[in-house]
Amino acid sequence: MKQFGTILKFELRGYMKNKVFVGTTIFMVIAIAIAMFIPNITAMFKSEDGAKDKSVMLIYAQDGELADLVRQYFEPAFPDYEVKLADGTLEDVKAQITAGSAECAFAMDSASSYTYYVNNLTMYDSNTAAAETLLKEVCRVTAMLQYGLSPEQAEKVMSVEIESNVTALGKDQGQNFLYTYIMIMALYMVILLYGQMVATNVASEKSSRAMEVLVTSAKPSSMMFGKVLASCIAGLIQLVAVFGSALVFYNLNKAAWGDNRIIASIFNIPVNLFIYMLVYFVLGFLIYAFLYGAIGSTASKLEDINTSVMPITFLFIIAFMVVMMSMTSGNTDNTLMKVCSFIPFTSPMAMFTRICMSTVPWHEIALSIVILIGSTVGVGFLSAKIYSVGVLLYGTTPKIGSIIKAVWKA
Amino acid sequence: MRLELKNIDKSFGEKQVLKGVSFTAESGKAFGLLGRNGAGKTTSIRILMNVFPANSGEVLVDGSPIDYGKIKIGYLPEERGLYPKKLIIDQLTYFAELKGMEKKEAVKAVDFWLDRLDMTEYRNKRLDTLSKGNQQKIQLVTALAHDPQIVILDEPFSGLDPVNAILLKDVVKEQISKGKIVLFSSHQMSYIEEFCDSIAIINAGRVALHGDLYDIKRNYPRDRLVVHTTKPQQIREDFGSACTDGENGALMIQLADPGEKNAVMKRLVENFDIDEVKVFEPSLNDIFVQYAGEQV
Repeated sequence: MKQFGTILKFELRGYMKNKVFVGTTIFMVIAIAIAMFIPNITAMFKSEDGAKDKSVMLIYAQDGELADLVRQYFEPAFPDYEVKLADGTLEDVKAQITAGSAECAFAMDSASSYTYYVNNLTMYDSNTAAAETLLKEVCRVTAMLQYGLSPEQAEKVMSVEIESNVTALGKDQGQNFLYTYIMIMALYMVILLYGQMVATNVASEKSSRAMEVLVTSAKPSSMMFGKVLASCIAGLIQLVAVFGSALVFYNLNKAAWGDNRIIASIFNIPVNLFIYMLVYFVLGFLIYAFLYGAIGSTASKLEDINTSVMPITFLFIIAFMVVMMSMTSGNTDNTLMKVCSFIPFTSPMAMFTRICMSTVPWHEIALSIVILIGSTVGVGFLSAKIYSVGVLLYGTTPKIGSIIKAVWKA
Repeated sequence: MRLELKNIDKSFGEKQVLKGVSFTAESGKAFGLLGRNGAGKTTSIRILMNVFPANSGEVLVDGSPIDYGKIKIGYLPEERGLYPKKLIIDQLTYFAELKGMEKKEAVKAVDFWLDRLDMTEYRNKRLDTLSKGNQQKIQLVTALAHDPQIVILDEPFSGLDPVNAILLKDVVKEQISKGKIVLFSSHQMSYIEEFCDSIAIINAGRVALHGDLYDIKRNYPRDRLVVHTTKPQQIREDFGSACTDGENGALMIQLADPGEKNAVMKRLVENFDIDEVKVFEPSLNDIFVQYAGEQV
């Protein structure tokens, strides 16, 4: 136990002194800080620009009355544009657009037929969609007036509003989607990054032959658990640094973010979800890190690491894909997900997604966590076994079969 | 203290690496473990250090199975290497702590050994900034800092310059005189001959020869004489085919019977110009080649 503590401390200090580790953490904190200051920064630019630079939207119609009516409806509906009536012919209008003095134009044939002119049609141009809603309104009002309703009556008909309330009795997928997404992305990145680090760490001890002294000084299980837990703590420290600074910077800029619901909801994660997130994150991290460590011990050269870890990376990516696909489809309770939420290598992502996005009975959660804890410890000891055999094998990377045989006998 | 390996068998997969290896080493004496590359020395050492278990056989200390919690072992592996990017003091303390020392005493012991080996100036440097010989001295600290009862040194002299070799010799003698079991493994026979009282030669997983080095030499048939002379030609003519050329310009005379040793010596001294005449004793090198050189 004392040995385990010594190894844990030594490895952890290794991470804290690692320039790459410290550098990426600082970089991420700075990136988060910038992201959190964005509303303030954009607000600064906006106030300087003022309102004078609004782009021009032209309304053109042979019928001057129609043009004016359309303008009246468009003006409040397009606050980003200066809506103007066009002078001259249609050719003049086109010329103005190509010249850049106007951004777009609606050439009205009638209230229900138009041509939209724009210089470059962007992917996100929603002007026509908005215009159509408005024009329908124009047509309806004109029709109502024609059938003899007074303008007030027409106004009343048009402004009927439906009152509605939605109460989710189970989970609000829209809301929790975000937590699931963040957790799974974080787990994905951290496992791939740190898994590789653990594997490299073991393999470099082997290739520098520090292993020769280590195996004769410490128990393989202490080595394995010390290394993996140190990497887990380092990973958590990094995440706390990143999310913690995000929280601090968010609070500094709270006013500027205003009522941005997405950002606000990230920082208002319910406590129970946060605890589940932590549990599944740590366990998921550990079980994969053990595997990576074991694989690292079988590689005899650092260059072999990338190919050696491939099977684990595939396993993990498959788990990731299954969860991601179920998540985006909205049906997180399909059979595949249910099965995956009990398999230790997929359950951290699958079960957490189900907890977030649907209602899972508590005993299923408990069972999944118990299975996961059990298999994490099991995989830990197994990987220590592989480690004790693997670290002394030099030369070509051994075949899986021969490792299994050796581990079985040991 | 008496360390004993008894009937150790070990296989890796289909390959049997050790076949009933037994040898004994005693405290206050140095023991030489010899053998060609791949003979099974390192495997024996690893079993002794409990890196992996033997298929059968025992490791005994004073007759009872070794207690790795009590008996501390220091090991200088043949394949040298520590953490190249870490500070020397940090890693040496770490290794001493792994072997059960408290942080404070570990630092103290490491500082003592750095001073003893003239390495104090490198205390706060990274290992990869040191020369190969100096890295080796650093590695020696990991084997000695925790004051082990058993010290295992695998090729300790390779890569050291003559001055450092003398320093290491002093350290080894010191360890022996402190009553520790010092186990040597080396191909440099001169060092083994200098330090070791007893040896074991392992050949292809078996102990081919084991015992007190002095006795081993004495047990060789004493039927050859080594003669140093300024006039070899006369002796050659006199002894005919019994006289052959030995090493370093000496002559070698084969006796028909060890019993005629004194008579032949007397005859040589009386009749020829003799600088030196003595009974031929095989060097460890000769013994090694004889026992380890056969079939692998």
